[in-house]
Amino acid sequence: MRNPLADVPVPILDDLIDDDYVRSLVVGVVGTLGALGLLGVAFPDSIAGDLAGIVFSTGTAASTARLAAPIVLAGLGGIFAEKSGVINIGLEGLLIISAFASVYIASVIGSGNALLGVPAIWVGFLAGIVASTLLAGVFAVVCIEFKADQIIAGLAVWLIALGLAPFMSTVFFGGVNTPNLGASVGWRYSAAMVVVATAASWWTLNRTAFGKHLRASGENPKALDTVGVSVSRVRYAGVLISGVLSGVGGSALALSIGQFVGSGETMVQGKGFIAIVAYLFGNYNPLGTLGAGVLFAGLDATQIRLQQLGYAIPDTLVQTIPYVVVIVVLALVGRTRIPAAAGDHYETEE
Amino acid sequence: MSRRDGGRLPTPVRRLIEPFVDRTVAERVLISVAAIALSIAVGFAIVLVSGRIAECSAAAWTMPVTGLGFCYDPFEVYAVLFNGALGYPLAVGEPGVFNPSWTPFNLSFGLTLSETTLLIFTGLSVAVAFRAGLFNIGTQGQLVVGALATALTVLALAPLLPAGPVSGVALVVVGTLAGAVGGGLWGAIPGALKAYADANEVITTIMLNFVAANVAYVLVLEVFRAEGSSVVATRYVPEYAQFTPWLFPGSSDFALLALAVGTAFIGALYYLVEHTPFGYDLRTSGVQAAAAEYGGVDAKLTTVRAMTLSGALGGVGGAVWVLMSEGRWIASVPDLGFDGITVSILAGNNPLGVLPAAFLFGILKGGALEIGFRTNVPTELVGVLRGLIILFVAMPEFFRMAGRYAGLGSSGPGGPETTEDDSDGSGDDDGTTDGAVATAEGGETDA
Repeated sequence: MRNPLADVPVPILDDLIDDDYVRSLVVGVVGTLGALGLLGVAFPDSIAGDLAGIVFSTGTAASTARLAAPIVLAGLGGIFAEKSGVINIGLEGLLIISAFASVYIASVIGSGNALLGVPAIWVGFLAGIVASTLLAGVFAVVCIEFKADQIIAGLAVWLIALGLAPFMSTVFFGGVNTPNLGASVGWRYSAAMVVVATAASWWTLNRTAFGKHLRASGENPKALDTVGVSVSRVRYAGVLISGVLSGVGGSALALSIGQFVGSGETMVQGKGFIAIVAYLFGNYNPLGTLGAGVLFAGLDATQIRLQQLGYAIPDTLVQTIPYVVVIVVLALVGRTRIPAAAGDHYETEE
Repeated sequence: MSRRDGGRLPTPVRRLIEPFVDRTVAERVLISVAAIALSIAVGFAIVLVSGRIAECSAAAWTMPVTGLGFCYDPFEVYAVLFNGALGYPLAVGEPGVFNPSWTPFNLSFGLTLSETTLLIFTGLSVAVAFRAGLFNIGTQGQLVVGALATALTVLALAPLLPAGPVSGVALVVVGTLAGAVGGGLWGAIPGALKAYADANEVITTIMLNFVAANVAYVLVLEVFRAEGSSVVATRYVPEYAQFTPWLFPGSSDFALLALAVGTAFIGALYYLVEHTPFGYDLRTSGVQAAAAEYGGVDAKLTTVRAMTLSGALGGVGGAVWVLMSEGRWIASVPDLGFDGITVSILAGNNPLGVLPAAFLFGILKGGALEIGFRTNVPTELVGVLRGLIILFVAMPEFFRMAGRYAGLGSSGPGGPETTEDDSDGSGDDDGTTDGAVATAEGGETDA
C-alpha cells in the first residue's frame, strides 16, 4: 500500500519555481541596498547619500528591529495556522491583546520589582504570550469544534481585542493609554527573538514530522487522517503556535516602548494585517516572511528618519507602499498559493 | 426530516410553528437572537469582573447573598444602553414606568437612527457581495472613497449653482451619485483582480482599505484641506445641500429622508437579488461557481459586477455620512464599513434582515454615548459586544449543538448537515461532510 502522504505536494523550498521566487526576492532586496550604498558613496551630498546614511545607520537598524518584530513574529504564526488549514485573519487581535496584557501585568508587579526572581518586564512579556495564546485557543475551538467560518471568526478576534484592550485599560488605568512603565525591552532582544523564531519555524516546518503533518493537514487532511494522525489536533497546534508567536510579537512591540496606546486602531495599527501581507509576500516561507517583514519595517524606519532630516514626504504614503506591493504581487506574480484545504472544515469519518 | 421521537418540544407546539416558517430562515433568526443574548450574557460577566477589579470609593452594585461589592452595575449598564438609545421611554430609576415626557423625536433616538441609516447602506454593501460568494471586507475603504468623492463634487458644484432648496436637491442627488461612482470604482478593483487575476478578495479588500484611508488622508492634507482647520478635513458643504432633519433636533445628525431612502434601497436590493436575472446569476455563482458557469452565467463578469454594486452601496453610505452626519469629509472616518460586516452577518446576508440588524447596532452605538454620560463603565464595552456578537453568529454549529442537546434541533445527530451556512465565501460549499475529498483534489480556490 502506498503512503498517502507521498501525494502531498511539498511546497516552497523544495519546489524549484517557488524557490526562484524567494531567491529573486532576496536578490532584489540585496541588489537595491547595494545600489543605494554605491550611489551614496559616489554622491554623498545627494538624496542618495542621505538615504544611504540612514539605511546603513545603527539607529535605523534599531528601529527596524523594533518595528519588524511584531510583523515577522505574527507572520510566522500566520504560516503555522494557515499551513494547518486554518486561516488566521485575527493576528491583529492577538497582537493587540498581548501588547496590552504585557504592559498591564508588568505594571501590576511594578517595573522595579521581580516575581520569583524574574524581573517584572519579563513576567509581563510571558503574560502577553499567555493572553494571546488563550485568545488563539478560543479562536481554535470556535473554528475547529464549532465549525465557524474562519474569516468571520478571525475578524471577531480582531474586533474583540480592539474593544477589550482599551476597555480594560480604561478600567485599570482610567484611560485608553496606559502610563509608561519607565522600563523597556531593548531592540537587541527583539532582533534576537525574530532571528531565533524564524530559524526555528523554518526548521519545524521543513525538517520535522510535525511540519509534514502540518502541511498535510492544510493540503490534504484526508491523507493525514488515513495515516492515523488527528487533523483537529494538528490544527489546534497550528493555531496555538500562531497565538504564541503573535504573543511574543505583541509583547515585544509594547514593551520596547514600555506603554500600551489604545486610541484609534491601537498601537498595533494594522501590523497584524501587514504580517499577513508579509507571509503571503514571502510565500509561506519563514525566511521570505523575515525578508518581507524587515523590508516593510525598514521602509517605515527610513521614512521616519527622512522626515527628521526635513524631506517632506507624506509619511502616510510611505506606509501605504506595503499594501500596494501586496496587491500587485497577488495580481501579477500570483506565486502565493494558499493551502488547498485552508478555510474548510474537516470531519473525521469514524 | 422532522425528528418527532427525540424532540423535547411538545408536538402540538411544533405542528403549530412548522407551517409558518421557512426552516432555514427561522434557524437564521434563532441563531442571531441567541448570539445577541449570549453576547449580552458574556458582556454582563465582563462588566462584573472588571467592576470587581476596578477601584472606586463606593460600590455601585452589591451582589445578593454573597454581599460582594462591584464598581459597575451590570443591570444599570444594559438598562442605560437600551433605554438611553431610545431616549428614555422608560423613566429612569423606576423600572416599568413609562416616561410621560418622552417623544420619539428626541436627540438620543435621532443619534441611534442616524447610525442605523448609515449601517443600512454598509450592511447592504457587504450582504450583496456575500450573496455572490465574495467576502467584501473593503466596504470601509469604498465608503471613504465615496465620501471623499461626494464632498469634493458638492464643493466643486456648489459655487456654480444659486443657493436655494432646488439646487440643494440637485447637489444632494449629484453628490450621492458621485459617492456611488467613487465607491463603485474602488470596489471594482478587487472584483476585477478576483475575476481576472485570481487574487483573493479578502486580502485585496483589506489592503485597499488601508490604501483608501491613507491616500484620501494625504489628498485632503495636501490639496483639499479647509483653510485654518485644525483637523484634516475638507470645507463644509453648504447647509442647503445637506439632508435636512425633519422633526428630529438638528444636532442629532439624522434625516428621516435618508432613512426612507435606505429602506427603499433594502426593498430594491431584495427584489434585485431574489427576483431578477442578475440576482439569479449573483446567487448561483455565490452558491456554486462551477455550476453557474455550466448554466451559462459569466462568473467573472458577475464577480466584477457584484463587487462594483457592493462598492457603490458603500459609496452611497459615505455620501450619506458626508451629507447627513458630518457635513464635510473628515479624516476620522468612523468604522461604518466594518460594522457593516457585522450587520450583514447578523442579518444572514439577507437584505431584509439588514434593517433589524442595523437598528440593533444603531442602538448599541447610540447607547454607548449614554453609557458614557450616565455610568462610569468605559464605553469601549460596546466594541467588545460587537466582537462577541460577530463571533457567536459565526458559529451556528454551536447553537445547533446546543439546540440538539435541548431537543430542538432541526436535523438529527446523524442526519445530513444543513448547508445553509452560506457565510463561507467562495469556498466549495460541500466541504462539510463528504466534501473533504473533492476539495482536497480540486482545491485551487484562491490565489
